[in-house]
Order: sequence, then structure tokens, then C-alpha cells
Amino acid sequence: MSVYFAFARSAFLTQLAYRNEVWANMIGKLVQVFARVAIWVAIYGGSASIAGVSLEQMVTYALLGGAVTGAIRYESIVSGIGQALRTGDVAVWLLKPASFPLYVLATELGRAAFRFVILVVPTVAVVAAVYGMLPPASPFHGVMFVAFGLLAYTIIALLSALFGLVAFWLLTSFSLEWMMQAILNLLSGQLIPFWFFPAPLAVIAAHLPFAWIVYYPSAVWLGRLDVTATLAYFGLGLGWAALLAGGVALLWRKASTRIVVQGG
Amino acid sequence: MLRTLRILPRLALMYLRSQMEYRGAFWIDRIAQIITYASSFAVIWILADRFGTIAGWNWSELALLFSFHLLGYSLGACMSFTQMRQLEEAVRLGTLDTLLTKPVSPWAYMVFSGLNPGYTGHALLGIGMMGWALSIVAVPWSIGWVAYFAGALISAAMVTGATLTMIGATALIWTRSNHLYSLFFGFWELSRYPINIFPTAIQATMLSLVPLGFMAAVPVAVLLGKPVPILGDWAGPAALLAGPFFVALAMRQWRYALNRYQGAGG
Repeated sequence: MSVYFAFARSAFLTQLAYRNEVWANMIGKLVQVFARVAIWVAIYGGSASIAGVSLEQMVTYALLGGAVTGAIRYESIVSGIGQALRTGDVAVWLLKPASFPLYVLATELGRAAFRFVILVVPTVAVVAAVYGMLPPASPFHGVMFVAFGLLAYTIIALLSALFGLVAFWLLTSFSLEWMMQAILNLLSGQLIPFWFFPAPLAVIAAHLPFAWIVYYPSAVWLGRLDVTATLAYFGLGLGWAALLAGGVALLWRKASTRIVVQGG
Repeated sequence: MLRTLRILPRLALMYLRSQMEYRGAFWIDRIAQIITYASSFAVIWILADRFGTIAGWNWSELALLFSFHLLGYSLGACMSFTQMRQLEEAVRLGTLDTLLTKPVSPWAYMVFSGLNPGYTGHALLGIGMMGWALSIVAVPWSIGWVAYFAGALISAAMVTGATLTMIGATALIWTRSNHLYSLFFGFWELSRYPINIFPTAIQATMLSLVPLGFMAAVPVAVLLGKPVPILGDWAGPAALLAGPFFVALAMRQWRYALNRYQGAGG
């Protein structure tokens, strides 16, 4: 395990080397967060509450929404696997006493930890200072938000790895990155919470694993789920995570037996 | 000059052939892009369906805005984005130097030898959605309106290409430029919404330093007779002139950066 921690740590430290990049990313992130909040302010257009959701709650949701997806780059996991396949590096990994998917996940989680501290927390703090942000609904919801947040990182990382491994069959990871973006746009709750979705779509979306990436952590913070529901959905999320982990393990085993390094 | 012009379509054709070698993968990629843009638009549709209008824009007007943005972007980006993103690597590895010794403009060689057919998906979705939006939006059809529409679309493509080129060209001086693209795409995501929903500071930035307001929000507001903040009555001519202005600026900056280019060192 300490090997993977070392990979993550080195990825974290590598990020420190590119300071200009940090500044550009920080300004980009700040603009994006400001804009997402501005869109909700424009939509509310003066009315204090829509469908039982106040503007303050919606602004808080928009700010929290970026906490996970703002830090992790699913595309580096998908394209990391795709690139290793294209260049043939993946063959070298089979010789090493470490798992390739776990290596890719560990390095991206290391980078995500860096972005969380350096990009996400400051930008959310700045926008929260301008527009205001609600505290967690209760101490219980606050604690569970952290648990849901960690689960969110696990699920998005596993999903990205799953998408990346499909490249072994498609031999291109480009379309997989885009498909993952499509899913996150619509089904993670990143841009719109499910309570504004048309009814049947909302129920379906709330039970797919993508919902645990953005929707549930933010909904729990806001106290939209009571204690029982919070725990039940946490359990369900763990179930999805276990299923995805099983899927990644299975796909990697199948993939590693059929690797054909191209053009060698 | 004529010889140079004759070689450019050939360069473009060569790249097209190389891209079409894996025809299945090419079209799978295009379909994935169409689905992703459709999902972004579905988000706007859900909002418009739930709330009626966003900052005074109804659903079909937002569809026109989105499609104009997509089409203008694909026209400008196929001439600039992937080519300019590679410039950083070309500077770092020194492969740009071999380009400088060719008897053809380095810019023209780079752009045409990498003219990206990958934007076909964007264009197909953009044209389809635009046709549909134009059939339901209340449009004051006239020759003048159509001419303005076409001019504004070309101008939007020019603004996109010029901005992406200016970002790429900074690699010639600083050796790194790709981090600035994340800044570009931060603003790019905003530029498919009506500009009046943003705070004044962001509006002002999008009309000057990062001129992506001219990609769609300003010209489409003019076409639909909606007010444009900051620019007011000047919005109409500004949307048409933004393209040529930023292209001229990008050309100057490209020449300046190329003159300053000294390689990545080592």
C-alpha cells in the first residue's frame, strides 16, 4: 500500500513545480465557480425560493458541486490508461510488482489532493465570501458530508478507470473521455440538482452511481436527506463503489490477457 | 506565393487521409462528441423547461445561442486549437526549428497540415440545431438580417481562432502555453450563456481581454434585438468588427513572438 501512497505523494509534489499553471488554473476555476453561481442568481431573478429551495441553498449547492469534480480530472485517468495502451508502456507495467490501474488512480488522487487544497478551497472561500454560503444543516450532516465526499472521490476514480479500461477493446480513449463528460454533465447533478429534473428522470438519476459524485454530498450538506435516508444512501453508494471496484478488477484481468501492443 | 497556396490544400488533404485511416474510431469519436454537446444542451433545456426563461431568453432563443456558439467555435477551432496546442511540444522538442527552415510560412504549414476534420461532429450538431432553432425563433427575416448573421458567424469564428492562436503563440516566448487553455475554456463555458447574467467584471473581461462574448452572446443578442450590456447600440458593429480586429492583433503577436523565438534552450 505504501507504494501507492508514494506514487500519490510524488504526483502531489510534482504539481508544485508548475506555479504558472497553478495561477492560470486558479483564475479559470474562480471564473467558472462565479459563473455557475451567477447563472442561478439569474434564474432565480428576485424570487426568494423556487420549489421549496431558497437561492441561498442553491448557491451553496453550486459551490459544493465543484468540490469533487473541481479537484479530480477524470480525463487524466481515462487518457492515462489510453496513452499507456497507445505507447505500449502498459506492457512494462505487467512486469512490475504493482498494479497498473491502482498506480493510475493513486497518482490522480495525489494530484486531486493538491488541487483540492490549492484550487478548490480558496476559490470556494472567495465566492462564498461574495455570495454567502450556508453551513451544514446539522453536525451529523457535516460529518456525513465528509464521508460522502470521500465516497465521491472513490466512485469517480473507479468509474474513470472503468471507462479507461474499455479502451483496451475500442483502442481509442478519446470517445470514452467525451462520454464520461456527457454523463457527468447530466447525471452527476453537477450542473443541475435532481430536484429540478422532470419527475421520472429525477428518480432514475438519483439511483445511478453518478449521483454520488456531486448530488448526494451536496444534498446531505443542505439537509435534504434525513438521518435514516442519509445512512441508507451512504450504504447504497458503498454498494455501487464495491460493484465498480469489482468491475475494474475484472476488466483489468480480462484486458491484461489480451494486450496487443501496436506497431512495436 | 501561388506555389504556397497550392501546397496548402494538399497538406490539409494529407492530414485528412491520415485521420480517416481509422474510419470506425473517427466516427465513434464524433458521435461521442455529439452526445456530450447534446448533454450540455439538455442541461440548458431542463433549466428553460423548469423556469421558462433565463435572463429574458426563452428556450428556442437559447438553442439559437448554443448552436451559433458551437458552429462559430468549430469553424475557428479547426484552424487553430489542436495545431496551437501542439506548439508547446514542438518548441520543447525543437521540432519547430525544422518548420522554420521550410520555404513556407510556419503558421500556414502548421494550420493546414493539421486542419482538424474532428470538428465535423460539432458542425453537424451545430447546423442541425441552428436550422431547427431558426424555424421556431421569431426572426425578422430580411436580406440585411441574413447578411448580418453570416458576417457575425464568420467574425465569431475569427475571434475564436485568433484567441486560440494568441494563447498558443505565447509558447514561442515562454515555452509553456497549454495551462492558458484551461483559462480559455473556463470563459468558453460561460460564453454559451446570455452575457447579461454575469457580474459586470466578467462581462467586461469577456468583451475585451478574453473576447469570447463575441463568439455568440453579443451577435445573437443583436440578431434577436435584445439589449447588450456595456456595448449598448455599438454591439451590432462591434460583433462584426471583433473578428477582423482580433485576427489582426493575433497576426501582429504571432510575428512578434516568432521574432523573439530562441528555442527551449539546451
